[in-house]
Amino acid sequence: MPAGGRRTRTQAAHAEESQEGKYVYCVIKSERSLSFGPLGIGSEPADVHTVNYRDLAAIVSNTPMVVQDPTRDNVLAHQRVNETVMQQHTVIPMSFGSVFKTDDDIMELLRSAYDAFTDVLNKMQDKFEFGLKVLWDRDQIIREIEMEDEDIRRLKGEISSQKGSTYFARMQYGRLIDAALQSRSERYVAEIFHALRDVSVASRSNKPIGDRMIMNAAFLVSRNLEQAFDARVKDIGQRYDKLTFKYTGPWPPYNFVNIRLKLERAH
Amino acid sequence: MAVERAAGGTSLIDVLDRVLDKGIVIDAWVRVSLVGIDLITVEARVVVASIDTYLKYSEAVGQVSPVSRPQAELVAHQNVLAENAALRAELAASKSAATRSVVTRAPSRRRTRSIEE
Repeated sequence: MPAGGRRTRTQAAHAEESQEGKYVYCVIKSERSLSFGPLGIGSEPADVHTVNYRDLAAIVSNTPMVVQDPTRDNVLAHQRVNETVMQQHTVIPMSFGSVFKTDDDIMELLRSAYDAFTDVLNKMQDKFEFGLKVLWDRDQIIREIEMEDEDIRRLKGEISSQKGSTYFARMQYGRLIDAALQSRSERYVAEIFHALRDVSVASRSNKPIGDRMIMNAAFLVSRNLEQAFDARVKDIGQRYDKLTFKYTGPWPPYNFVNIRLKLERAH
Repeated sequence: MAVERAAGGTSLIDVLDRVLDKGIVIDAWVRVSLVGIDLITVEARVVVASIDTYLKYSEAVGQVSPVSRPQAELVAHQNVLAENAALRAELAASKSAATRSVVTRAPSRRRTRSIEE
């Protein structure tokens, strides 16, 4: 690329940086314009308000027209706004980092995706997401399996008492332990999903992260069943005293909505 | 064990897990950052590429296949590079035309920006 081209672009970028844009947090249903106070992204928390189009509203705050990095402060501000708005409204969360140039551009977004947003807002009406991660202590479970399973106990005994090669005994022991861990984890996960089925609308199972996690799920729960869901999770916690539960929420329904928008060049 | 509920914003990992690529996602940001401008200076309109809601009760474990994903990303990346070349050409052609900007979207990883630099 010629040097001149680059200089022009840099100058343009400078000019844009001094401009104000609008950071978008989520979309809700509202015919009125609303204000949520100074909660937004920025070292001085920006005032959070709406940009309205018909009965839809985008929750926004003013921000410099720059790319926002997903730093701890920025990401938590994004979440804080969603959490606050969610207390009174059904939200469709925006993924992090969408900055529009003007109110008109946001109205154009709401207009273009009006049907999609309306449809999804109806489906998510009065529903929240909850996260449930389940972890176990693998070594503790292995000790339990050794106590309960006669074949495994016998093999373990052979390995520790045998004087010659224990290669095949160890191989078989490893295979049996792996299979037992697998089936036990599947059993726990199936039981937990089953126990939460009648207090939630939907669930999604994400890939567990790391060695200790056996379940990484999200549940969509109706507002009127929130307490029942909460009580059920606590019941489960009591019942499975060897498992560790990480229970979070309420969240906007991030795991249950995926609306992909793209820009097309208009001719 | 006693299970306590933690509010959404308590764990940064849980927040990042959600906000980076879930909910309403604008795909065009990839192209925008690759073109080397933070704004779209060609006239654009917003189009809904896909809508998915997940309202079934799923008990399946580990639906995400770790093997197939990189390949899909590779294809997507090649598409982006092709789009990038096309947009550069268009940008050069329409430099004098009246322009309007619509949206800019932050890259969730810095890596995407360095491609351009």
